[in-house]
Amino acid sequence: MRSLRPTLCWLLLAALSLTPTTSLKAASTDAGAGNWRMIVLTGPTQIAVAAPGSTTGLDYQAELNAIKSAQARITPEQRKAIDYWSRGGVLRWNEILIGLVARYNLQPPPNVDNSYPVPDANNPFAEPQFPFANPPYAARAYSYVTVAQYDALKAAWYYKYLYNRPAPWRVDSSIQSLMPASDLPAYPSEDAVLSGVTAEMLKLLFPAAVDEITLKAAEQRQAAMLAGRATSTDLAAGLALGQAVATAFVARAGADGMRTAGGSPAIWGAMAAGAAARGEIPWKSMDVPARPPMLPLFGSVRAWMMTPADIVRERPGPPPSTSSELMARDVAEVRRYVDTGTREELAIANFWADGPSTPTPPGHWNFIAQPYVRKAEMSEVRAARTFALLNMALHDAAVGCWETKYFYFNPRPSHMDPELKSIIGLPNFPSYTSGHSTFSGAAAEVLSYVFPSGAAEFQRQASEASISRLYGGIHYRTDLEVGLAHGKRIGGYSVTFARTDGAD
Amino acid sequence: MLMHSRFSRGLCTFASFVGLAAPLGAQTIDDGIMLSQKQVLTGNFYSYDTWDEYWEGALKRTNGNIGTITTEVNTITANYGVFDRFNVIGMVPYVWTRASQGVLHGIDGFQDLTLAAKWNALEKPMTSYGTLRTIFVVAAGIPMTDYNTELLPLSIGLGTARVSWRGTVHYQATPGWFLTGSTAYTMRSKVQLDRPYFYTNDEFVMSDRVDMPNIFDYAGSAGFMKSNGFMTSVTFSQMRTLGGGDIRRQDMPFVSNRMNAFRAGGMVMYPIPKLESLAVNFALAHTFDGRNVGEATTITTGLQYTFNRSFTR
Repeated sequence: MRSLRPTLCWLLLAALSLTPTTSLKAASTDAGAGNWRMIVLTGPTQIAVAAPGSTTGLDYQAELNAIKSAQARITPEQRKAIDYWSRGGVLRWNEILIGLVARYNLQPPPNVDNSYPVPDANNPFAEPQFPFANPPYAARAYSYVTVAQYDALKAAWYYKYLYNRPAPWRVDSSIQSLMPASDLPAYPSEDAVLSGVTAEMLKLLFPAAVDEITLKAAEQRQAAMLAGRATSTDLAAGLALGQAVATAFVARAGADGMRTAGGSPAIWGAMAAGAAARGEIPWKSMDVPARPPMLPLFGSVRAWMMTPADIVRERPGPPPSTSSELMARDVAEVRRYVDTGTREELAIANFWADGPSTPTPPGHWNFIAQPYVRKAEMSEVRAARTFALLNMALHDAAVGCWETKYFYFNPRPSHMDPELKSIIGLPNFPSYTSGHSTFSGAAAEVLSYVFPSGAAEFQRQASEASISRLYGGIHYRTDLEVGLAHGKRIGGYSVTFARTDGAD
Repeated sequence: MLMHSRFSRGLCTFASFVGLAAPLGAQTIDDGIMLSQKQVLTGNFYSYDTWDEYWEGALKRTNGNIGTITTEVNTITANYGVFDRFNVIGMVPYVWTRASQGVLHGIDGFQDLTLAAKWNALEKPMTSYGTLRTIFVVAAGIPMTDYNTELLPLSIGLGTARVSWRGTVHYQATPGWFLTGSTAYTMRSKVQLDRPYFYTNDEFVMSDRVDMPNIFDYAGSAGFMKSNGFMTSVTFSQMRTLGGGDIRRQDMPFVSNRMNAFRAGGMVMYPIPKLESLAVNFALAHTFDGRNVGEATTITTGLQYTFNRSFTR
């Protein structure tokens, strides 16, 4: 057996070398990504990028000299920044993004008259801080940032391979390559594209963080230059492309229905009246003082992969009637878990709680995806695709789940049984179906497609995230089962897109 | 010499999120009184601690989602005189918490075992004026169970192991008046969370292990004791956490928050007539100022019994 091993290894290596396009794709530069299907842009040439000057020209030589002199007096701090961004811009921005969501994921405190202030996008530095990055807000934010990055990088890839300008360190051997080397053409710089598109999207979504976002984006560009990866013209073209792509996404975001998703007292009053007219106990806020429901019209926000008709068609059927035997059994089961749950169940409830000051469940799934992306050594454009597919599914799950929640306006367990207390925070929106379950079903579906070897683990995590809400005492079993299946169907829309986008 | 316990700081100060000060303030760890060799002092103490206002950072507020937080603690204590000048102390608290409003579940369970060694390092009789003592204490605390630390202020403790180094100066006047000053530095171990990340002190941390800032505290008391074991005193204490973030606006507290508290109160110990080895305790304390803690009022009652009392000096 032992003697066979080296032979097998050689055979495997030989097989690999014969099929480089499939087996080695993860570690490749994805030279064809310029032609992968766009999501918001009409195509890679929607935003023009002028041809770069020649690498033999005097101007370019001056740019190379600037890199050389910068490298000659590089500081320890700059080296730290280079190491930081070497992990990959897409991954780093994803980490920054989930941190921003955690920071802004705080409910506004009540006013003295027991009303609640509404965070104001036009006055983001005032109290309450803008935004309140709750799960739907976060899902949408993750999707806008990652989809914009993805479209921008596809456009960048198109021009990179159109112009084929090499990296500075390849042109001039006296320039060191201080980041992992690749054959990727340098113009326009992918780091600058990412810095431009991401900073613009983040400024829209987290306007009060503008200073640190701007600094981080500038650091990324400087690191690319110092690492011998991009000259000033590579960076300028990338920055302009990234910012121009962001403009298209900012326009979409301004008209996607988010602005009116908060609804009005008349609207949520009508929702409660509708549930009562159907003979059901309508949801009510269990916060003290009672808090307006979280984004009751988020179900009308534009999805990525689903039409409004798809959203309605995929909506699960009604929950058990609040007066039914099944509901009574469901309530009793929740009560049993919160009063006699085990330490293991508590750990699961806490692990997935993802309440205030966390990146929310959509952020948790980005957090789960990060090490997979890292380990696969994806090109920036493929890493961006992974997060875009994931976050489109998560956003669509938020839309579909919120549409369902407010369509049925179903009460929470602690509303049905006033003695029932939860061991994690109770979210301020209707019960049916579970957001965690819908998000997790959708995320596991997409990640299982992108990383088939992790499929079993993703499904296990989705089931655990789902059941954690029963352990925590804030959802009935029915909410979980129906939500998980709903999420899986929604995730399927992103997977269907992925199968035909030209990347696989 | 008589022995007593000084509960003005309350075993149950955790109700004000001050998990650490609780065991430190407990029976005889920070007073100036020693057991004689072979004496055993056992006690059972019950405290009832409530607050409805708390400091969210520096902002004092109430919160309709919790109403009034009530924390009850029952602590069994034992104190043994290994030598006249060297005592060991142990404490086991059981804690119950509940909120009067909102939907959060109360928690109960064994909190942290505290063990301490107390050394009367320097005893200086001052002829007709009394006695001056300098006492050093090393105390260690360790959670007895894997309790939930992620539902503050309803969690029963902070889930951190800790060691504190304490110095106490005690002046005992001949007629029975006494004056005590005590200060300690407490080092705390990292706390293991169930969740995989957390946000505190302006930072998002992708880890389930939380650095716990160390704590500095000092306390003082003045009182009077009689030879039959009766004792009364007034006390104050100040706890300062040396780092950690504030509770953010409308956020829940977090284990590593910068928890500060100034508390003051008084206590009485009354030996049962004809049964002087048995004494009842009563103490009252209030948090007058704080940061990231509740404005707690604590009532404590206790019974304590001394074995080998006849061997007292």
